[in-house]
This record gives sequence, C-alpha cells and structure tokens, in this order.
Amino acid sequence: MNLVGLALRNLRRRPVRTGLSILGIGLAVGSALALIALSRSIQDSSREAINELGDDFVVTQKGASDIFGGFIPESTIARVAAIPGVARVSGELFMFAPSADQRSVLTLGWPDTSYLWSKVPLREGRLPGPGERHVAVLGDTAAASLGKKLDDELELVGETFRIVGISNYATVINRGLVLVPLIDLQEASYRMRQVTVIHVNVERGGVQLGRVRMEIEALGNVTAATADEMLKNDRNLAILDAVSLAISIIAVAMGALSVLSALVMATQERTREIGIFAAIGWSNARIMVSIVLEGMLMCAIGCVTGVLLSFLAAFAFPHIPAIGNLISFKPSLALIAPVLGAACALCLIGSLLPAWRAIRMVPAEALRRL
Amino acid sequence: MGEAIVRGSGSDKSSESGPLIALRGVSRVYDGGTIAALRNIDLQIAAGDCLAIVGASGSGKSSLVNLLCGIDHASAGTVLWEGRALRTQRAWARLRRLDIGIVFQEFNLIPTLTALENVEVALFGRGLSAARRLARAGVVLDRVGLEHRMHSLVTTLSGGERQRVAIARAIVNRPKLLLADEPTGNLDSASAAIIADLMFRLREDAGMTLILVTHDDALAARCPRRVRIKDGVIVEDTREPMAPRLIETTPRQAASPRAAPPQAAPPQAAP
Repeated sequence: MNLVGLALRNLRRRPVRTGLSILGIGLAVGSALALIALSRSIQDSSREAINELGDDFVVTQKGASDIFGGFIPESTIARVAAIPGVARVSGELFMFAPSADQRSVLTLGWPDTSYLWSKVPLREGRLPGPGERHVAVLGDTAAASLGKKLDDELELVGETFRIVGISNYATVINRGLVLVPLIDLQEASYRMRQVTVIHVNVERGGVQLGRVRMEIEALGNVTAATADEMLKNDRNLAILDAVSLAISIIAVAMGALSVLSALVMATQERTREIGIFAAIGWSNARIMVSIVLEGMLMCAIGCVTGVLLSFLAAFAFPHIPAIGNLISFKPSLALIAPVLGAACALCLIGSLLPAWRAIRMVPAEALRRL
Repeated sequence: MGEAIVRGSGSDKSSESGPLIALRGVSRVYDGGTIAALRNIDLQIAAGDCLAIVGASGSGKSSLVNLLCGIDHASAGTVLWEGRALRTQRAWARLRRLDIGIVFQEFNLIPTLTALENVEVALFGRGLSAARRLARAGVVLDRVGLEHRMHSLVTTLSGGERQRVAIARAIVNRPKLLLADEPTGNLDSASAAIIADLMFRLREDAGMTLILVTHDDALAARCPRRVRIKDGVIVEDTREPMAPRLIETTPRQAASPRAAPPQAAPPQAAP
C-alpha cells in the first residue's frame, strides 16, 4: 500500500461520505457547466442562425437599438445591390408574429425573387412560386410545435397562410422559423415598403470587404456589420448577455461553494485521523500529501461526474420544447477546461486548508476531536 | 512498600548512563493558565525501565504521557530525549516514527483500514518497500496473536483485538519506548488481562522501556516503578521488586538480564 492506495481505500471504505462528496462536486461542476453554457447559448444560437444564412454583412438601420427595432426603406436594397463588389442582396422583414393560438412565432418575409429562398433546405413540399401570396414554409420544429403539416392553414397576424413546405435547417432558431413572402408580412404588419435588415453577399476574390462596407454605410442612415458585430451591438442581446453573466457568476459561485464545502467537510471530519497519523510519527508533509491526494481523487471523479451530468442536460434539453425550440445548449470543450481547472483549484484549497489547520494543532488536540 | 518518596529522582541506571527521557521543570497549563494540568514536573526514566504512572482521573496522567511522546507541548520546562532537548514537532514526529510507540485507551486506529494496513502505516517513511512493510506488519500481528484477523477491517474486531492491533502498530518499529495510556481502560476484565500480559511479555522480549498510565492499582503493581500524580504534581516515585504476578506470567523475564529490575525478585516468587 502506498499513499494513493491509502487514499483509494479510504474512499472505497467510506462509500456514503465519498459518494456524497463526489456527488456534491459533480453537481457543482455540472450545474456550473450547464448554466454557463445556457447563458451563452442565446447569443450562440443567434450567431449560428445568421451564419447559416451565409451573409457577409447584415445591413440595419443606423442607431437601431436592437435587431427588431430598425427599419430600412425597401428602396435601399437596390442601392446596396448597385455597389461594386456586391454579389447579391436580399431584404428581410421579421417579427414575432402571433398565431391563432396566441403563440408568437419568429416570422421572416423575403421577396419572392430573393436568393435566400434558393438556400432553404427543404425537407418536404416546395418553395413559394413567383408572385404566389399567402403561402408559408415552416421550420421543422415550428411545424411540430404548432402541430402543422403540409397543406394545413396557419393564421399569422390575422392573415391565413397555406403551408407549402417544411424546411430542415440545422440551427435551433432557423428550425423554428416561419418563412412567408415579404409583401404578405409587410401588409399584415403595416410595414409597407420597409424591411428590417438587408442581407449582403460580397463577390469572392479580390473584393475588399472594408471598402464595400464603407460604401454601404455611405448610403446614409444604415450600418453594415458582420453577424458577430451586429449581435454585439444589439441592446436586447446586451441585456441578455448581462443576465447571462450574472447567471454565470452565480453558477460559478454556487459551484465553488459546493466544491469547497464538500472537500472541507470531508477533510474536517478526518481531524482525528490526522492526529493519529501525527501520533505514529508521520511528517506533516506526508499527512498533507495523503489528504490532498484523497481530495484530488474525489475531485477527479466528481469532475467526470459533473461533465457527464452537463452532457446529459445537453442531451435532455433539446427534447424539452420550451427550451429546445428556442436555444441550443452545447457545453463545449473550451468551456469545460476552465470550469474543471477552477474545480481542481478549489478542491486543492478545500483539502489543503483544513489539513493545514489540523497539522498545526498539536496531535493530542487533534486526537480529542470526534 | 518500596523506596522512600523521591520527587524528581531518576533510577540508578539513569544516573549511570543518562536517562532515556527526562522532564525538567515541566508544566502544562490550559486556558491561558487558568487550568494547570502539570506543575513543575521533574522526572527521569532510564532505558529499560518499567514504569507505571498512576493517579485519579484528572490528576494529570494523560497530560504527562502526552508530553513524554511529544503529542502535546509543555507550557514551561524541557523534555529531553537521551539528553537532547526536542523543540520542534518535526523532531518529535521523527522520534515517534523511530523510537516511540504509543498505545491509547481509545485505540486510535484508522477505521477504514484492516488490521494489517493499520500496522503497515506506522512503517511509512522508513524507506521500506511495500512488501517488506507488509511482511513486517504481518509478523508483528502474528506476535500479538492476530494472524487470523489481519485482513479484517478494524471496525469488525472486538475491543481486545483492536487494542492488540494498536500494540502491534506501536511496536512494529521496534521502539525504545512503549507508552501505554490506559490500555485496558476500555476493555472487559478478561481482555484487559490478556492485553496487560501481552504488553509485559513484549516489553520483556524486546527489552524496551515501558511507561504505563493507569488508574488500576493492580496493573500498576506489575511495574517495578510507580509514579503517582495528584493535582498535576508527582507525589510519589516508588521503586520496588517485580510484582509476583508479572514473574508468573512472564517466565522468560528471569533469564533476561536486560529486563531485571534493579532489586532482585523475592525468592518465593521465582519460578
């Protein structure tokens, strides 16, 4: 038996204490990972959705506080298209449109000539034909959550649309979209000849993105931004980010306290044992190594448990419609590394502090502890 | 009775070759000096001595034994080991690892370990391989009659068996000094007799110094030297011939010159 063997025996032969400590660490790590991942998922989901449409720039009204808040005259689309280096453009009007059962669905209106229609991944049905009115293509999760299928009718903002296609985008937000002809949404929302954003694709090979961007902005009263920049400047998302940051801090603080508590309790109740080791002549260094080894073993198992729990949550959340239809939840490796690093540091402190206090006691005092 | 009360005196042996352990003006107070457990103690214990520290509950016996093995520190005075003052916990830890074995009333075994493992941990830090540690621990457990329970968790052992494990752990390093603090205090009378016999026999065989703290006068009577403590002060330090029962239960003792008390055993008690 060596010190590792001693630590393993201690853990194995105190199954309740070990199990509870590991569970405490695992829940702390798992919940921290899950909450941080969730808090980031709102922005990540929005970014993924925009990127899936394949834009170089998104043009919005200058000074608009958020992506829903600005409106651009439809005539601007042609002016942007005329800028050298711009390959294609499409206007887009979007809104959360109330459906018949008072549920709001994210609805996008595209001109029937928009290149965006050609990029829709259809699962079934077809796209709207040129000039066709009051038809809709639903994302697969939107269809599922609304309980609609091909040829069903869908009421949006008081207008009736016939479902002609079901799309199967990859990203969560796009899977929840309802796509309709721009003119229908403009009429229904009293936004005639207005769009919310203009999608811009730039020609490949030698075109300077910076120049194109400057020329777009020179048109006046519009801002051209990449998806990341647009999300960064969006006030709604900034508020959500602040909330997310607060949730992350709370998650990390709760996790840290749980990890510290589990380790401190596990070590503190061993004060008498530490006294026994001291009484039989173990050096302080050997006692500390023994305690820390045990703590770090629990930490390692707890971290693995926590990561598994967070992935279990990642697997389960998409199956909960209220969550899975709105945001994606993916605990990434980049997120796991710092959380596990923090957990290990806390376990080290949680083991060292009570052990250090115990070895500073004279052994006789430690032996008197229950 | 034996010799006259000589407070702070040492044995004849100690005056010849220097004591194994000595206390000089040692006091131990608690709660900022409001409670004095030991007051100005002078005591010398020679190598090979067999000494009982007796006294009523709360008299300071355990405080004294804690100071003798360095698991507590003196508030005043000096503890000398083979003439050298030990001032750091590190030095005391090394001494306990190499030269002092302790047996506690409460056994103080690690509950998650087997009997064998409990003894083995006392050999950590001695530079022995795991195989040698286990072999040595096994031999000692065999010596205390626990060869059949060595792989049992100590929580499954009886009180007497646990104390035998504690004794095995205390002697596995072949210490010069074996300190036993009320070793039979938590045992029934049958187990207590077995444990007492075992300790005296081991002490005789190994020739180690034995300090036995007890409130049991019959057990103390088996030690040739008795130190009585009252209210934190040594009030009696008596040396007398080996008690008859010890001679009866340890027949090899008579043949061991190392273990012979300074005074000859009474002829009628000889085997």
